[in-house]
Amino acid sequence: MPPWVKRRSALVLPGLVVFHILLISVQVPRGAEKSLFERGVFFVFAPIQRAATGAVRGLGSLWRNYFDLRGVRAENRELRLKNFFLAQDLRFLEDRLKLARSEAQIRESLADFEGSLITARTIGVDSVNPHQSIIIDKGSLDGVVRDMAVCDRTGALVGRTIPPIGFKESMVQLITDKDSSVSVKSVVSGLTGSMTGRAAALCDLRYVLASAGGTDTKGEEVRTTGFDKIYPAGLPVGVIQSVDPDQTSPIFLSIVIAPYFRFDTIDVVAVLGPRRGGGG
Amino acid sequence: MRETAVKDILRTVLAVALAVAVYSAAGAGAPALLAVFNAFSVFVLYFAIRRGEIFGAVLGTAAGLVQDAFSLGVFGVAGLTKTLLGFWAGFISRRIDVASFGRNILFTLALSVLEMILWTLLTAVVRPGSVNLQGGLVVLQPVITAVLVSGWLAFERRRARIRSLRGG
Repeated sequence: MPPWVKRRSALVLPGLVVFHILLISVQVPRGAEKSLFERGVFFVFAPIQRAATGAVRGLGSLWRNYFDLRGVRAENRELRLKNFFLAQDLRFLEDRLKLARSEAQIRESLADFEGSLITARTIGVDSVNPHQSIIIDKGSLDGVVRDMAVCDRTGALVGRTIPPIGFKESMVQLITDKDSSVSVKSVVSGLTGSMTGRAAALCDLRYVLASAGGTDTKGEEVRTTGFDKIYPAGLPVGVIQSVDPDQTSPIFLSIVIAPYFRFDTIDVVAVLGPRRGGGG
Repeated sequence: MRETAVKDILRTVLAVALAVAVYSAAGAGAPALLAVFNAFSVFVLYFAIRRGEIFGAVLGTAAGLVQDAFSLGVFGVAGLTKTLLGFWAGFISRRIDVASFGRNILFTLALSVLEMILWTLLTAVVRPGSVNLQGGLVVLQPVITAVLVSGWLAFERRRARIRSLRGG
């Protein structure tokens, strides 16, 4: 038996370790592009993820649609009553909305995305840190390309599409990711800055000068500005949770933002295509 | 020899595909579950203990790289830690007796903790600030991994014993 066969384990481990160290080394500092190898691994295994998620959802759906029919009549009665009150609420809210924004404005903002909105479902979350990325079930065959804004079912900003983008699956970088950056503006006091994630449930609003004031802006909504040419202007992002002087750089404010999108309930999302006439 | 190698490659691909399916099903059921449950570590430890250090290291490489592909982290960090996890698990389990449930759970717990420490240190070096301990929930991950791997191995042994009793 040749000696290398006897010492196979002593050869395999250093070989694999050196391979990984080289793999990590070529990415640090981390570049924007994913390697062909990484994209290949994603392409091969993403359909398995899609099938497994589909199976779990299918079972859940079977449970809801078949076994859970018991008591549906009582629920129906209750829902009819609720529907009546909701219709009343809707009429009241519509009146209030008309006061705030003209109907023409609303129609215009919706028309911008007409025909370029792709609805998708989340099929996976980041295997290491759930606040970094998610995987959705729409890909290049559905018209998804990189840098498309993604919103949740309430229209709040979730993130943007990034490579790898498979035929039927794509990755979405969440706004809570540490390397994410969104240009935002508070709606009342107009504090404008760059919002980055904390790799946790909160984000930081950076580069807002202390001289801009805004110490009493707690609870104020922030929306996208569109300056970054990725996220369309006017998308709701979250609310200001706290405003304090920045300890490390006193010329700036330290502003914490709580995003609207809820990571634990994120399911159906909308991928926004480019607006007609450009503008992000 | 060649037949064994081909079989091992097929087993590796199958094990990784199974790990992806379990990870995806867990994520679809409850995304927060992924903070405490790492399907890739469970599969690497189980197969490394059963099939030895070389299979463990190769499976660790494949499973770790797939885990990296489903994450925004640096590609290769989980690959490296899981390669070492698979190798150590296979190598040590061939030299000390880890057959009983009690010993097995301690052994897998020690290796899982070691893997987590290594992964945290590496991530902190190559992508500072991106380590999220999920409010301390990730500390439970090695415990869950150890319980699942040891439970799985104990179940296998019990099944094999029952089968041999029926056969004899």
